[in-house]
Amino acid sequence: MILRHTKTVRIIHWSIALSIFSLFFSGFGQMPLYKRYMLTDFAPWTGDYWLTLHLHYLGAIVLMTAVAWHIVFHGIRKETGLLPRSGDIGESYLILKAMITGGTEPPSDKYLAEQRLAYAYIAVTVGLLIVTGVIKVIKNLGINLNDSLLFWSTQLHNLGSVLLLFGVIAHLAAFIPAANRKLLPSMFHGKVDEEYVKHRHSIWYEQLKKKGAKR
Amino acid sequence: MKPLSRRQFLKRTAVASLIGATALVGVNEKTQAAADPMATVIDLTKCDGCTGEKIPRCVAACKDKNRSRYPQPQKPIMDYWPRKGFEDWSDKQQVINRLTPYNWIYVQKITVNGSMVYIPRRCMHCDNPPCAKLCPFSAISINPDSAVTIDPEVCFGGAKCRDVCPWGIPARQAGLGLYMKLAPKFGGGGVMYKCDMCHDLVETGQQPVCVNACPRQAMTFGSMSAIKNLAKERKQALNGYLYGMEENGGTATYYVSAVSFAEIDAALIKAGVVDGKPGRSGMPPVAGKMDELGNLSSAMLIAPVAGIFAAGWTAYRSIKRGEE
Repeated sequence: MILRHTKTVRIIHWSIALSIFSLFFSGFGQMPLYKRYMLTDFAPWTGDYWLTLHLHYLGAIVLMTAVAWHIVFHGIRKETGLLPRSGDIGESYLILKAMITGGTEPPSDKYLAEQRLAYAYIAVTVGLLIVTGVIKVIKNLGINLNDSLLFWSTQLHNLGSVLLLFGVIAHLAAFIPAANRKLLPSMFHGKVDEEYVKHRHSIWYEQLKKKGAKR
Repeated sequence: MKPLSRRQFLKRTAVASLIGATALVGVNEKTQAAADPMATVIDLTKCDGCTGEKIPRCVAACKDKNRSRYPQPQKPIMDYWPRKGFEDWSDKQQVINRLTPYNWIYVQKITVNGSMVYIPRRCMHCDNPPCAKLCPFSAISINPDSAVTIDPEVCFGGAKCRDVCPWGIPARQAGLGLYMKLAPKFGGGGVMYKCDMCHDLVETGQQPVCVNACPRQAMTFGSMSAIKNLAKERKQALNGYLYGMEENGGTATYYVSAVSFAEIDAALIKAGVVDGKPGRSGMPPVAGKMDELGNLSSAMLIAPVAGIFAAGWTAYRSIKRGEE
């Protein structure tokens, strides 16, 4: 087995994932949805805007702390393997094609090209949500902000939520193809099968061999 | 708040003094062109509900001014699926005993300790209004003149503003607005309507029409500082009570009364004037709900900074230890 995700990375990943799920739930609660769609008949508290707002704030505290950690920690350590590279779109196409046709995938680094693109998509939408969310929080502190700034922050926050929802659905859907499923347990215990790495992440495997870092 | 320059201070003091003096003699003339916050004081010892008239004059004046802005729903109106029913006041436009999309001010009438009390009710125009702050589409604006206004072109009619308003003021009309152009069956509920403090008039230095229409000068409108002083002085003179200055973190509408608002509120509930349905509110004590978010908001802004320092320290240690 080979260590793919350290404990720190897994904690941050799950902090971000769980806070995003809680933010979706409390955020949709801020829309007048739960009363309309009768969720309040089963769980009356879901219709309490003040409660869901507090939950939204708590979720945001966890998300923003974890995101800040992620950027600074990997920034200082110069770990940029998840950032998109030129040619990632074409390479993603080849990987998808190989998964569908059963052909041979191009050699990959620690992260597949499509994973780097997915990371960028989610990072940009989360960034958008944090920036617009902070503006909305400042507004709630009793500070009357410029109407246009507030209006567009609100609309972009709503749009960002929908874009992130699509991103999360796509992220989870990535585990439908059998080829990707071996990565899933590594999000819990951190390790992936050596044969899998050798076969699918051959560039990374070669680097590990050179470093003698197999575990 | 921005510090005032000497010139601004003198100007505002002069204007406030002038308005205060004007208000004190009971003459409601033109107010300053409103870039400053404005407010209204409603003296319940003066309001008699225009007894003997078919419609209180403040209500009639509001209707005359705003009739062209009243909702024109497309019929038939769809249910709020999956629920049955929708909010439609278009066939009840004559209703004047509660707030509706067609009636933005009304006068409550109640007996308290054997005396009749008449209470003109409309939007309080809060300083930190939950309706505007929590609208999920930013359809509600807080204007420099204190007017809290709803943009009917942006409003989706979810009625969250009414739910978070301590007085449940905004009223909903189904069958029109943005939701009709998107997915009317599945989301949205119409457009919310309420008093806009005659923002268009106030912007040009005029007063709300309800204030002008009052035959007993029960309402006085002017700069917030002057009106606050007037309200406090009147309260002192009456040895009475004040409502609206502290409630919900402060508003731009101050009621002055000779009887306590706790008694008024209890009487409104007992008499069924407050019927538990939208458009008829009591006068309960109201804590500033938006203020409660303060600590959590501060924590939200500080938390990432803590994350940054913790990450910096951990990254440094891991590099030092040569960890992968």
